[in-house]
Amino acid sequence: MSEEAKQSSSILIWLTALAFLIGMAAIFIYVPTEQMEGAVQRIMYFHIPAAWLAFFSFFIVFICSILFLWKKEREWDIYALASAEIGVIFCSLVLITGPIWARPIWGAWWVWDARLTSTLILWLIYVSYLMLRYQTEAGSMRARFAAVLGIIGFLDIPFIHFSVLWWRTFHPPPKMISPEGLGAGMDTSMVATLMLSLGAFTLLYFVLMGQRIKVEKMKDEVEQLKKDHLYSN
Amino acid sequence: MHTGALVIAMNRYLNQVRAIVWKDFITELKTRELFSSMFIFALLVIIIFIFSINLSIVKASEIGPGVMWVAFLFAGTIGLNRSFILEKENDCLQGLLLAPVDRTALYFGKLISNFSFLLIMEFLILPIFMIFFNIDLIPHLLPLIYVIFAGTLGFCTIGTLLSSLSANLKTRDIMLPILLYPLIIPIIIGSVRMTSQVIAGEPLSSMTNWLSLVLCFDVIYIAVSIMIIDFVLEE
Repeated sequence: MSEEAKQSSSILIWLTALAFLIGMAAIFIYVPTEQMEGAVQRIMYFHIPAAWLAFFSFFIVFICSILFLWKKEREWDIYALASAEIGVIFCSLVLITGPIWARPIWGAWWVWDARLTSTLILWLIYVSYLMLRYQTEAGSMRARFAAVLGIIGFLDIPFIHFSVLWWRTFHPPPKMISPEGLGAGMDTSMVATLMLSLGAFTLLYFVLMGQRIKVEKMKDEVEQLKKDHLYSN
Repeated sequence: MHTGALVIAMNRYLNQVRAIVWKDFITELKTRELFSSMFIFALLVIIIFIFSINLSIVKASEIGPGVMWVAFLFAGTIGLNRSFILEKENDCLQGLLLAPVDRTALYFGKLISNFSFLLIMEFLILPIFMIFFNIDLIPHLLPLIYVIFAGTLGFCTIGTLLSSLSANLKTRDIMLPILLYPLIIPIIIGSVRMTSQVIAGEPLSSMTNWLSLVLCFDVIYIAVSIMIIDFVLEE
């Protein structure tokens, strides 16, 4: 890795750390406690950014999968892998933080609401994507298969969205889940904190991507060295 | 002249598809292993459900459509799993790929044979389902056929694509359902909903949203499969 790349990656890491520090201060000190829900509402500042990152990562997987099938360059395969792993982690965070908030507010860990259900299905699709990757030998076949799944998985999202939405319209969801209640009645300090948290999480995505890509490239290098020196004699 | 060339090319393509479907049917008629296992498996799923649900508490017409589609889904997975693994034996797939045939013809051939095996199995299961669940399906037969047709097609489009992919994996039997089931949840929800509405006597026009969802799914995944099957069936 060149000196400049190293420098810019360390700048990015410090910037992310700073953003998170300010974000934490905003979430736990600056922003006022929500009147109705109390302290547990602060989990929203982690929940929404995590959800945003999960969807963003899966979109990047989709784009990189198309680019891989088009250009057949290992680079795109690495990007898709890195983004899928990050996406699954953040999707898991969404599925964990959601119930923690829901338990005191709705009185239940899980409700088969449209949004919860579609997040769960999304998580399952990308876990199966990663399983496919880990269970296949490295090489062009794995990259192609993963790319195919990355494309059809993402195209499934609108179908999942509508089917789950209509599925639930037969049993109207509780009033609390209504999405209008979130953004509309929010204080400016809350919106600002949320934006700060969103920014910090987005920076984190790029840091993680950079690190994961570096690790994967090192792996390739080790494989290549093994091939050149270990097996050639 | 141009239209003539087009017609000849079309005919050749259809012949290729027909040859693959024909091959699958001949194999099946000879061995009868796929069809019988699918049928018995679907039957077993229905029976297991009857034992695990207390039908004196739950209304049969409410739980029936779900049980029916779970049986179709599980039995269909067996069929899809076999469809490309069969070709792996004796390197038949290699032969098919070497043949001067378009890869999409291979996909359509497999899609049609999977689809028809599953449809035949489903229509043999229906009377048994009717008897066991005590639901009279005969007055609703026409819309029901339509719903089963659309749902099964959606299951087979994406299933055929994924089975051509999973046949190359070491853990193919496990990986196919893991990859397939999350993706076909929209189809399952739609088919079960429509089937319950049909059984309740509602006309197809009252469920246009579900019908268009399932048909869109069918069309989009056929189109996507045509575009990407070349990348899956690459040696």
